[in-house]
Amino acid sequence: MSLIEVKNVIKEYETAHALRGVSMNVEQGQWLNIMGSSGSGKSTLLNIIGGLDTASSGDVLIDSVNIESLSEDELALFRSEKVGFIFQQSHLIPYLTAVENVMLAQYFHSMADEAEAEEALKRVGLGSRLHHRPSQLSGGEQQRICIARALINSPEILLADEPTGNLDRDNTKVILELLKSLHSENHFTIVLVTHDPFVSKWGERILLMEDGHIVGDERI
Amino acid sequence: MKRRGFYFFFRKSITQRTGRVVIASLSVMLAVATVTGLMGITAGIKDKLGSELQAYGANLILSPEQGDYLIHDMLKTVSSLDSVEYASGQVFGRVFIHKESAEIIGLDMKRMRESGWRLEGSWPVNEREIIAGVNLKEVLKIDKGEGVSFQHGKKVLQFIVSGFVERGGPEDNAFIVSIPQAWNLMGIDGKFSAILVRGTSGELEGITAAIKNGTTGIRVKTLRQVAVAEESLLKKIQLLMILVTAVVLFAAIVSIMSTMGANVLERRDEIGLMKAIGATKNNIRFFYIVEAVLIGFGGGIAGYILGYLFAQAVSWGAFHSFISVPYYLVIVSIAAGMSISLLSSHFPVSDALKYNPAVILREE
Repeated sequence: MSLIEVKNVIKEYETAHALRGVSMNVEQGQWLNIMGSSGSGKSTLLNIIGGLDTASSGDVLIDSVNIESLSEDELALFRSEKVGFIFQQSHLIPYLTAVENVMLAQYFHSMADEAEAEEALKRVGLGSRLHHRPSQLSGGEQQRICIARALINSPEILLADEPTGNLDRDNTKVILELLKSLHSENHFTIVLVTHDPFVSKWGERILLMEDGHIVGDERI
Repeated sequence: MKRRGFYFFFRKSITQRTGRVVIASLSVMLAVATVTGLMGITAGIKDKLGSELQAYGANLILSPEQGDYLIHDMLKTVSSLDSVEYASGQVFGRVFIHKESAEIIGLDMKRMRESGWRLEGSWPVNEREIIAGVNLKEVLKIDKGEGVSFQHGKKVLQFIVSGFVERGGPEDNAFIVSIPQAWNLMGIDGKFSAILVRGTSGELEGITAAIKNGTTGIRVKTLRQVAVAEESLLKKIQLLMILVTAVVLFAAIVSIMSTMGANVLERRDEIGLMKAIGATKNNIRFFYIVEAVLIGFGGGIAGYILGYLFAQAVSWGAFHSFISVPYYLVIVSIAAGMSISLLSSHFPVSDALKYNPAVILREE
């Protein structure tokens, strides 16, 4: 049974169509990369799956629950329990240290646990950077904090929107290897959006998007 | 545990953004100081102006309902009433000077001096000296230091005019003598023709009722011109202060709203991120409400202190004395600080919570 089911989703803005009737399924534990050029609708699809945005029409079922029918508070609960996000910009709170940024996600989920947050950062190789602020860390290190933050509440789905978009090739590789290792350990589902062919090859499946349509679906 | 987590992240957000919090608190402080200062002045100005307006003279006059005189005990009774600032007796009579009839007014000389009467010459220093209304100078061809001889019935008494008084009233056409001098001349020891009462502005009706309840045989008349002018002046000044306070408060709220708005706008990313990692709108709003309450509380207390000093400085400049600022203004200041702060942050936070996190988090 599919963990994520997207059924004929349309997303319209005042002057444009971002998604023109997209349908797709993602199996539990699968690593899916959505690839497409800028404006193809891939980030919009990711945000709708994560409950950050809503569809103009169509259904999105996560674990058989239609998130399009959830209230704002139910969506917040869904985001804290079911999904973890990684964005192109790291979006860390600048006045919090690495460990505190991770603890913030714990706080909104249940309760902050410093030891557990430290352990999560050690797993992403930041054991020596626990009490550094984001401004004291490199772009790659900041993205690793984001990975730790996204996974701290053991979500079923990791949604990553161009997670390596601001990184050089070496750091990109480090982040992708880290994701691969965490994925094989924990078997969560990954939906990763990228425009970079190098990144798209790291998953198990590639979905190609163009002008709001899915135009290709291939297994790697 | 959840509360401890909130306290932890809230403390972090305050201590690591001290500059922003201080600027917002200073804005609130200035608004509260202005409001508190103006309210303090408004509250204190009534007493101060009341004292200053005493120079205008009495605002009630008591006269006998029957007969010519009031007895001395009535003066004591009236003086002891609440809201009576002072009461003094007057004796009116007529005497002859070289067969010309002249009016004499027996007054409390000490109070006359304190009331700031304009005098040409000097105040009487003994029982032989009196003062005269300025018009008598021409009418009777008398001058300072000259003697006058008063005849009342068979009694003849000699006095020296030490000065001339100008009031623009009946005093300008009469001789002004002390109460004992008047009693001696008229032969009515311990009696008054009238009692002049200075009552607190705005309390005249109450005083009139109290006099009528507490005594008999007294007619009470309001000196309308003085009383109405004083009350009207006080009301106008208070209205002006309220208007100024309202304008300043409005300007302050607009200014604080822009400071708070900038603060929230600056933290749009943070709000978007919190939403993305599972915070509900109420979770986020609570952070901002507590921060606004804290800023309002601090700004309110500091504003009260500054406003108190401002009110005292204004009072010292205008009246050369300090005013008593009501204690309840501490509570009013803190409440005003918190209300201004909450109101100013409510709209920007509500706006920010409407942002689509997907849009915010995608921005460079």
